Amino acid sequence: MNARRLWRWLLAILVAGWLPVILITWWWKSSATSDNPFFPPLEMIWEQFKLNWVFTNVPIHLVPSLENLFTGFAIAVVVGIGLGALIGTSAGAARYVEPIVDFFRSIPPVALVPVFILLLGLDSGMRIASISFAAAFPILISTIEGVRQTNAVLLDTATVFRLSPARLLWQVRLPNAMPVVFGGLQVGLQIAFIVTVASEYLGSGFGLGAFTLTATDTFNILDAWTGVLLLGLLGYVLSLVFDLVERASLGWYYGQKKLA
Amino acid sequence: MPAVLRRIPAGVISTVVALIVWQIIGSVGPLAGDSFATATEAIAALVEFLGQSDFWTAVWQTLQMAIIGLLISVVIAVPLGFLIGLSRFSYRSTKFTFDFLKVIPPIVIIPIAILVIGPDVKMGVVLVVFANTFSMAIQTAYGVRDADPVLLETMRCYRMGLAKQIRYARLPSAAVQIGIALRLAISASLVVSVVAGLVGGAGGLGSLLALTQSSGNADETYAIILFLGIIGVAVSRLLVRTQRRVIFWSGK
Repeated sequence: MNARRLWRWLLAILVAGWLPVILITWWWKSSATSDNPFFPPLEMIWEQFKLNWVFTNVPIHLVPSLENLFTGFAIAVVVGIGLGALIGTSAGAARYVEPIVDFFRSIPPVALVPVFILLLGLDSGMRIASISFAAAFPILISTIEGVRQTNAVLLDTATVFRLSPARLLWQVRLPNAMPVVFGGLQVGLQIAFIVTVASEYLGSGFGLGAFTLTATDTFNILDAWTGVLLLGLLGYVLSLVFDLVERASLGWYYGQKKLA
Repeated sequence: MPAVLRRIPAGVISTVVALIVWQIIGSVGPLAGDSFATATEAIAALVEFLGQSDFWTAVWQTLQMAIIGLLISVVIAVPLGFLIGLSRFSYRSTKFTFDFLKVIPPIVIIPIAILVIGPDVKMGVVLVVFANTFSMAIQTAYGVRDADPVLLETMRCYRMGLAKQIRYARLPSAAVQIGIALRLAISASLVVSVVAGLVGGAGGLGSLLALTQSSGNADETYAIILFLGIIGVAVSRLLVRTQRRVIFWSGK
């Protein structure tokens, strides 16, 4: 990296970074002498955070949450892309399925959790089922959409080369649908995270959400703050990782767009 | 397919088929029992709800949270985003912070909101404001920055002042983005106000749903889900249609 690029990079960090630094410093300073029970000094929250999450409670509360989140999301991805690819290849099928899918997508994802509690009780099975069910719909919709709008020239070329339907789907339609599918995956991951937290709030016991809401109910203010901070951080890290994965897997697409 | 059937819209046919499948699953199929409601049971419970004033009170509470929260977030976010968007420095220095806050789902702050505000309608309003403000401000700022550069250069050549730049270049491009942000925010506000009730006990349809589930009443639980889905579809259809008409110049 030459000096000029390094300089620019530093400047960008400075410009983006001064506001959060000021905000956190302000919070730290202004809460230092706080005697409001609900807004304890940030320093105390930070000490409690280290006590809770480096790394005493990580295996009990954080790991099960992440396990449910990723299992549920993985199921949603497989089912959403699989079904979406099948439905999307037939224009007729899509017309019949879309109103039903549209209905399920329009229900607030968290509102589905009570339905799964009635059916499955309060354990991990219920949590994973709610997560995968709610997260599958945006993925399904974007896959149908993406597979349907395959470039006509590509389809004609594939016909000329007499590609089998399976190869056509796997090698032409799906790769070309990927930029659209990723939009659905992003929404799906957000929903998976929200439903993970909600299923833990509603089905108490273990998990980061349950830890935080129990702390609230027992007026354990410091623990509640550490839980909320960790959950917020987790939400941000998830979206960050998703962006990186998207950029890495859609590199070819962005390259094409730049050329065009 | 007979010609008569072909004239019926696809959506009607698939809805009827879905209702029949739902009925079969719940009455003879794998999910028969008390913890699952069939289509007829859920619809009957919904019809009964529609005749009760308690149900409409809950609907009104949810709407109140959504509407008041939405109005407050528009009043905060649009002017804020507009100011931020006017200078490149302020846009770049707030983008990271707002992006960070934008991706944190409001459900995360519910435990603190319960402590500080208490489980009521006010808390729902705060959650809706938290959910909308940051993304709306970023979107508005983006719209202001997105103004046609050639138009801006031309105006500068003619020495037109900032006021004219805002009026003829910045406002029209910001309006497109504000429209998009508003559409997303309306749907999000409804969802968040239901969640505030369900998880945070803020009242409204969410709290009613929590109540029917915890008392094990499957019919009423499914009736509320059905209602939420129908309202959701209706609102999103209406929004897409309205947006096309209001921001006719953007082609989006």
